[in-house]
Amino acid sequence: MNPMIRKELNLRMRERRGWILPSLYLVVLGAVVTLAYYLSALENRRVQGAEVGVAIFITAAYTQMAILLLLAPIFSAGSLTIEKEQRTFASLLTSLLTPFQIWFGKFAASLLFVLLLIVIGIPVLSISFAFGGIGPWEVFIAIITTVIALGAFNAIGLYWSSVFRRSVHATAVTYATVIALTVVTFIIFIIEISVWREGRSWADFPWSMKLPLYLNPVFFLTMSFAPPRHLFPEWVRCLGVFVFLGLLATGLTLWNLRRSGEVA
Amino acid sequence: MIQISELRKNFNGNRALDAFSLEVAEGELFGLVGPNGAGKTTLIKTLATLIKPSSGSVRIAGMDVQENRDAVKQITGYLPDQPGVYQDMRLREFLQFFADAFHVDRERQSPVIESALRRAGLADRSDAFVEELSFGLKQRLVLAKTLLHNPKVLLLDEPATGLDPIARLDLRRELQQLNAEGVTILISSHILSDLEDICTRVALISNGKNAADADGNQIIQLRRAAAPTQIYEVEVLGSIENALQATTSVFTATVLKAENSRLLVQLAGSKAEAAALLQSLIAAGVQVASFAPRSTTLEERYQKAFGGTKP
Repeated sequence: MNPMIRKELNLRMRERRGWILPSLYLVVLGAVVTLAYYLSALENRRVQGAEVGVAIFITAAYTQMAILLLLAPIFSAGSLTIEKEQRTFASLLTSLLTPFQIWFGKFAASLLFVLLLIVIGIPVLSISFAFGGIGPWEVFIAIITTVIALGAFNAIGLYWSSVFRRSVHATAVTYATVIALTVVTFIIFIIEISVWREGRSWADFPWSMKLPLYLNPVFFLTMSFAPPRHLFPEWVRCLGVFVFLGLLATGLTLWNLRRSGEVA
Repeated sequence: MIQISELRKNFNGNRALDAFSLEVAEGELFGLVGPNGAGKTTLIKTLATLIKPSSGSVRIAGMDVQENRDAVKQITGYLPDQPGVYQDMRLREFLQFFADAFHVDRERQSPVIESALRRAGLADRSDAFVEELSFGLKQRLVLAKTLLHNPKVLLLDEPATGLDPIARLDLRRELQQLNAEGVTILISSHILSDLEDICTRVALISNGKNAADADGNQIIQLRRAAAPTQIYEVEVLGSIENALQATTSVFTATVLKAENSRLLVQLAGSKAEAAALLQSLIAAGVQVASFAPRSTTLEERYQKAFGGTKP
């Protein structure tokens, strides 16, 4: 096992946030699902049924994505800067660990913590099974989509962590990136369709006009709700964009790590 | 063991190292002295493979440090000027992590870690958290971690900074012990007396260049090595004329300075020559008030070389 992963997991789980964050996450997710249930039951005048199940599932999936987008920078953006701040970075770089091992240890530890949150959230998402309208496939594809989007954001957080010396700066810029990709891309799309005059349906929009949305993790999740045969082209395009973003951030981080001895 | 030739390093147009050259022999305990910003840390980081030189050549055990980074890391231990630790780890876990990071065989890890803890005097605290240690003990732990893979060359950047006198003495003893075991050590320090006591030779660095002391020496041979000559300070009562006359009768004696009642005489290194000079002075009826060897301390040389500023 990569010693970086063992060290990172060991240290992360010793921190107070190692148990506070999962607890808070479950409380918030549970509260939102309960609220969604009451609102849906009130609106549909039924306490069970497919409408209620779908409403609970979609609310839980979006809430999970939103919470994890808020938490991801905390795990990733401080990963390398903390080594610089506590002056252990030089020891890592002068050891026989390769830049890839250092990166992978940090990436895997961050992603594993996100996975822990996703796994403990599965029972909450699965409550919708009891109401109908949602099957294992929907839960599976929503989780896969969330993991891929969060993996890309983890890689981006690690990139900023390799650029800056202070965790506070890396975390701020990672949050700015999250906002840019979730909110700004959506606003750009809204502006684009408001000036578009050649049709109002999704099929009328050119590829370039949809591009900002392909960068949007919430849109990516929304596309995962499509039936399996309709995942192509939009979900697949989003998948390509997020994999590309993750790989680009990874490549740049490794490049930075190879030349970061001067700031160690 | 360490060969640095015409090393240059620029940072954003500023020259941190400027044609610096140095050779350190195998088994030497070599010192590097210079004022703040002289380029000591840049030089040691370059040797530790952290910094890529702008030009020039840096070799350890015949290997270029940039072209053979892994091989150089395998035989090199680097202790940064501000050594960092993982506060939330236990001492044993900390050493275990670096044993893994330096690819120490799994079967050998346990004895290697036990031995490192014993050597650092931390064996009875192996399950304590690093944050519970004092600064001096953390420094010992980091040195122990640096030695886990049995490096042949140790690069120490101001290792005594922040240590109390006892911890400093411990460190000095530890370095002497390692050197006696055959480890080549390059150590930079502002604590000149520490270098003077343990180093065989010291290089001077200023503005990234090789600097020289007032006598033009870029490398200062310290007392531990056999000095070719020894200077004696003689104070006499009354006129020094008789003393000057008596001095000329000793074959290896050269009068360097004679003023008022004091003479500075350079003699060949042996104590027999000093005894002969003293005997000659007394035989000539010179009243000797004091007769003592005088060595130019590293601190004096440093002050002469760098305009009297003491770090």
